[in-house]
Amino acid sequence: MDVRTLSRPATQLLKTTRQTTLLPLTTSRGHKTTARTKRALKIAPHDSFLPNRSQPFPAADHIIYNPPASEASPEHTPFIFLPPNDPRREAIQRMRLSSPEALGSVAGASPPESDADLPPAMSYPRRRAHYNLTEDDMAEMRRLRNEDPLTWSTNALSKKFNCSPIIVSIAAPAPAEHKKWLEDKAERRRERWGPIKTQAREDRGRRAEMLYRGEI
Amino acid sequence: MKGIRPSRWGGQLLHARSCPATIPRRNFLASTVRCQSTVPAPAAEDLIEQIPEEGETLPRKLPSPLPERALQSAKLAALHSRLSLSKKIPLQTLARALVTPSADPNSSFNNANLAFLGSTIINYHVAEYITCKWPRLPMAIHYEALRAFSGPESLAQISRRWGVEAAAAPGEEVDPGLLQWASNSSALVGTRWGGYVRAETDRKHSFYRRGMSSRVVLDNDFGDAVDAGSVKDAHQHHQDTSFSSFVQAVVGAIYSHSGREAAKDFVESHILSRQVDLSSLFEFQLPTRELAMLCAREGFEPPLARLESETGRHSRTPVYVVGIYSGKEKLGEGNAPSLDFARRKACMNALKSWYLYSPGNKVRVPSDMMEEGAKPWKAPHIDIGEVI
Repeated sequence: MDVRTLSRPATQLLKTTRQTTLLPLTTSRGHKTTARTKRALKIAPHDSFLPNRSQPFPAADHIIYNPPASEASPEHTPFIFLPPNDPRREAIQRMRLSSPEALGSVAGASPPESDADLPPAMSYPRRRAHYNLTEDDMAEMRRLRNEDPLTWSTNALSKKFNCSPIIVSIAAPAPAEHKKWLEDKAERRRERWGPIKTQAREDRGRRAEMLYRGEI
Repeated sequence: MKGIRPSRWGGQLLHARSCPATIPRRNFLASTVRCQSTVPAPAAEDLIEQIPEEGETLPRKLPSPLPERALQSAKLAALHSRLSLSKKIPLQTLARALVTPSADPNSSFNNANLAFLGSTIINYHVAEYITCKWPRLPMAIHYEALRAFSGPESLAQISRRWGVEAAAAPGEEVDPGLLQWASNSSALVGTRWGGYVRAETDRKHSFYRRGMSSRVVLDNDFGDAVDAGSVKDAHQHHQDTSFSSFVQAVVGAIYSHSGREAAKDFVESHILSRQVDLSSLFEFQLPTRELAMLCAREGFEPPLARLESETGRHSRTPVYVVGIYSGKEKLGEGNAPSLDFARRKACMNALKSWYLYSPGNKVRVPSDMMEEGAKPWKAPHIDIGEVI
């Protein structure tokens, strides 16, 4: 069995190459008539749509519940967002203790035991508070920035002091003339853009606004 | 015996008197014509003020139909029964509810008083319902929700669904069952209630910050600046205000004739029964940061985005499903064609589910305590405030 599954791609590859070299391209036949198309497209319904046949007689009552795949409604409050006096909180806790598997994938379902069961974390810049800077560090940061803002940029300082660039921009902002120079530089670069790139940038901003309004 | 000169009689009788009578006559409008009105008779000072000056002719045409004609109007009777109003509310009051101040500036005959009373009752019931049902709404969304339930546009829609039609032009001769309003009237200024005209509206060329706190203090019930001058679509605005003033006046009439509970039932069945999708009202600035601040404030673990599933990463139309987790608890989920958008969408959904928390569909509101034999009051959940 295992050998067959392993060898199958290789054999198929051989087959297809031989076919493409020796035979004409249109070998497979389409469903040329309505009857043949209908027969070909006839698929048995999914099990969840069929009545429950676990008991032969009498047939067990059951409800067919097949919700379409969709986003969760914001009206379903997640478990930790429930205030302490809400009766749903106690009910979910009781269910989690008694029958963890009964909840399935409902909003109040019990969380997985370990981090390994969770989906993989995404990598993106996020806030990780260190609180490692002292007063002297801040003064040193400001001195370096004022001495040579070109060398000691925000990123360079954040690497040197092991803090986030946002902290640097708050604690040691660049001198006004350096900021002006940077803005002019960015403006000159923007002027070199053609109409397509300008339009694309505008559209991107507009898409973000629409996203924040919940329109896309 | 003095000779009688009958030839002069005819002249005496036929000649109109050159000077008016010295005894002050009661005002034609206030006393003679409208004795059947439902409003109390105006005070004596008002009457004297309303006496026309010498040489001024009395207006022949009244600005709105006579109150006694209300009993003959089929439209009005139909509207009364369509709204299932109590028999205690006379047809004359319903006719008065249809006369807006733009048609008849006389406050003894227009619906200004009833509409003001009604608007306070409607806004009270709607505001307490929103506060108890969605205790975590930010103030801006709260204002918009209030506007969605009881704003002029919504109330105008309600009155149109009741089958109220406007007269082509207001006047004495029109059917009293039609709404009387005029778009080109100067009497619309008097229909503003609540709020203050801001001092900075006079100074044109300066920018003033209009924060939420000043909206709460200075502006009207819906957080709009009180400024009659600059309405975008003035005709539409006046039309909506006129139609909505009828709904407000009906609620005011129910309150004054049938009492508080009847008015509350009417508001619940006609205004609070409408569905509003609050999740579509939100607009975020920095959702990821806001969610991080929320988790920090509430003492949850900082949020982390996790990629739940993806398809077609190298195709033209990929789909990523990203979930936001705080520790092991899931806060929200979003899907989008890029990783960044999906993460932001998931954050927005998580924030919406925080803000739209509701204790349940059957919330008790403070006015329920006024009923006979009400259960003891249990304080509802009130959130500590918005996430900054």
